[in-house]
Amino acid sequence: MAQSTATAEQYNYDIVRKFTIMALVWGVLGMTTGLYIGSELAWPFLNFDIPQITFGRLRPVHTTLVIFGFGGSALFATSYYVVQRTCQARLFSDGLANFTFWGWQVSVGLAAISYTMGYTQAREYAEMVWPIDLLIAVTWVAYLVIYVMTLRKRSQPHIYVANWFFIAFILATALLHIFNNFAVPVSLFSLSSYSYHAGVQDAMTQWWYGHNAVGFFLTAAFLGMMYYFVPKQAGRPVYSYRLSIIHFWALIFLYMWVGAHHLHWTALPDWTSTLAATFSILLLMPSWGGMINGIMTLSGAWDKLRTDPIIRFMVVSLSFYGMSTFEGPLMALKSVNALSHYTDWTIGHVHSGALGWVAMISFGSMYHLVPRLWNTKMYSEKLIYLHFWLATIGIVLYISAMWVSGIGQGLMLRAYDDFGNLAYTFIETVSFMHQPLVIRALGGLFFVSGMIIMAFNSFMTIRQSRREKAELDAKLAEKLAQA
Amino acid sequence: MSKEKTKSTVQTTGHAWDGDLQEFNNPLPRWWLWGFYATVVFTIVYWVIFPAWPVGKGYTTGVMNNITYTTTDGKEVTTHWNTRALLLKELGEARAEQAKYIDQLKTASYAEIAKDEEKSAFAYSMAKVLFADNCAACHQAGGNGVIGSYPNLLDDAWLWGGSYQQLENTIREGHNGFMPAFKTSLSEAQIDDVAEYVLSLSGEKVNADKAARGEKIFQGQAGGCHYCHGKDAKGQTSLGSANLTDSIWTIADVPGHNTLEGKKAAIKAVIRNGVSRTMPAWKERLSPTEIKILTFYVHELGGGK
Repeated sequence: MAQSTATAEQYNYDIVRKFTIMALVWGVLGMTTGLYIGSELAWPFLNFDIPQITFGRLRPVHTTLVIFGFGGSALFATSYYVVQRTCQARLFSDGLANFTFWGWQVSVGLAAISYTMGYTQAREYAEMVWPIDLLIAVTWVAYLVIYVMTLRKRSQPHIYVANWFFIAFILATALLHIFNNFAVPVSLFSLSSYSYHAGVQDAMTQWWYGHNAVGFFLTAAFLGMMYYFVPKQAGRPVYSYRLSIIHFWALIFLYMWVGAHHLHWTALPDWTSTLAATFSILLLMPSWGGMINGIMTLSGAWDKLRTDPIIRFMVVSLSFYGMSTFEGPLMALKSVNALSHYTDWTIGHVHSGALGWVAMISFGSMYHLVPRLWNTKMYSEKLIYLHFWLATIGIVLYISAMWVSGIGQGLMLRAYDDFGNLAYTFIETVSFMHQPLVIRALGGLFFVSGMIIMAFNSFMTIRQSRREKAELDAKLAEKLAQA
Repeated sequence: MSKEKTKSTVQTTGHAWDGDLQEFNNPLPRWWLWGFYATVVFTIVYWVIFPAWPVGKGYTTGVMNNITYTTTDGKEVTTHWNTRALLLKELGEARAEQAKYIDQLKTASYAEIAKDEEKSAFAYSMAKVLFADNCAACHQAGGNGVIGSYPNLLDDAWLWGGSYQQLENTIREGHNGFMPAFKTSLSEAQIDDVAEYVLSLSGEKVNADKAARGEKIFQGQAGGCHYCHGKDAKGQTSLGSANLTDSIWTIADVPGHNTLEGKKAAIKAVIRNGVSRTMPAWKERLSPTEIKILTFYVHELGGGK
């Protein structure tokens, strides 16, 4: 700890603290919204016929707050922390860094408000209307400038692997965001716009964006997080430098091809569909490369599983990363997709990645980060354990419920009776889903409770840090007075 | 950091970041590498079999993976694998499965369907989905309707008739149910009297004087209700006018009220505002055999005549 006080001026920790706090705030809000819309699906009366809180409007609020609010802020915080510490250089331009903070928070906040009011451009995970898109674009370019300039200032000759992933994430996200959001506003004073692309090309662009948002935002970037915080927390070197190079380039190259697997069995040409399916299969091992490197790094420190709750978060996150990157290519095959598409299986898959991998690695990293940023110990280690169990049980409930619901509905929709007639009506498949949806909501409740406990624990840690600092200052003043 | 744990036979790359961040230079795990090669082999095989790479204005179509299907006009088509052909093939197979029953039902009379166990079992099986996808949105999944809006198909009261022929006609051509609004031609007091009379027809205890006045309006020129509902107030299926004597209520929610005032208010609202309802015609959307199957099903639901 003594070291971090000394480095307080060497590095810009202020911006890391701000983003960390907002990650917690958006995490609580976004996941609570998720719990609510999950409950709306199980108990539709919860829509209350109030347009602003119906599922259709709250769903993008949930996805935006958790992906961009929680995930995005956690990435800004950790990437700014990691780039400074691994380059031994202070972040480029405090002013620009603050601009990225406000630009990002305002974008996320405005997006959420505009969705509840019914303003959307109806592109999944990119629902923001065009003025917000412009603000995001400017913010993101500032982020890129800060990152590149900080890397250029580094006092280390080599760039650490975590930074490769972060820079790939920032570059790719800029590209995806800008090309996917090409649109012509109806007028200068209208929030509505027409997409520049049309028809199947538009769908293709949307899913090129959508899946690479998963690939670069939710995977590559969080691998960057993993590559710093896992070896740091375990106190062990990364397992294999060679593996990190190979799986990095394989991942970066292959991800760009696979978006079209979201459009199997549509108007998309069959050859496009095939390429997306096969490149998804090729992605399996490169994805596992990241998991192997993480798990094998931890493998010399298994004893810490008993004593260090943060290591637990990391092991579970890597396991879920491995599991969902196995499930993904499977679902990308046309024949499996014919069963899984348009069912809850997809929702379950997304959440095994989002809750299991993204959120768990973020939790682990933030529990590592918070005491170092505020120069104290976590307020309660017991609450970290509690959070760990709530989150893990929540994920397991969530995913298994969605398997039952999704695969069940998929099988019912394609079932024929002895006469060659459809065996079930659509509404029968919906009522079949009720029970799994209730269990899913329960899983969500567990997960949200864990998130709230983490926010509370962090809040108390920050208060504790302020109190300790005040005490220290008082003692120092006393000493000085005596002298 | 415990020193002995970082000991390893493998060398690190020699770089260190942020104090203690280092990297071993372990070789790629064997199984991982072979796993990757396996996915490459899988991919290449997939590319050979399925349409895969764009070439000029076309694309590689895949080999040894042709699909043969029969079009609806009986032509056999063989083509390289593609999702559309696969859909047509699977639809064709499902249709062939149904065909032997459908063909029988096409020519069978309703009586024959009802008598034959297999035919009626097929009709039920197919009608279940047809009804749920086409009818249940209004008449509800069980066919019990919504009082005031959509007729109940389970009871034996039929506005447009409950025989096979009448039901089939209703489904095929649809109906426009209409009763004029009387709020301008009758006074509030007159409407009240007519409501008392209408309730008396179904055996409700009402004020006899009022009901008598109501009867005059009903049967006379002032209301003219009998033009459609008939002198006996039993309605006419040719007009879709309701039978007012059978205690079955399709529009006024009489059973939903316990007091005479409540029941009367429900009826008065109908007299005051009239009725305008539409059942769409299904002949454009469903085949004659599908309509026949639905007719049979609705007839069997309850009070088919």
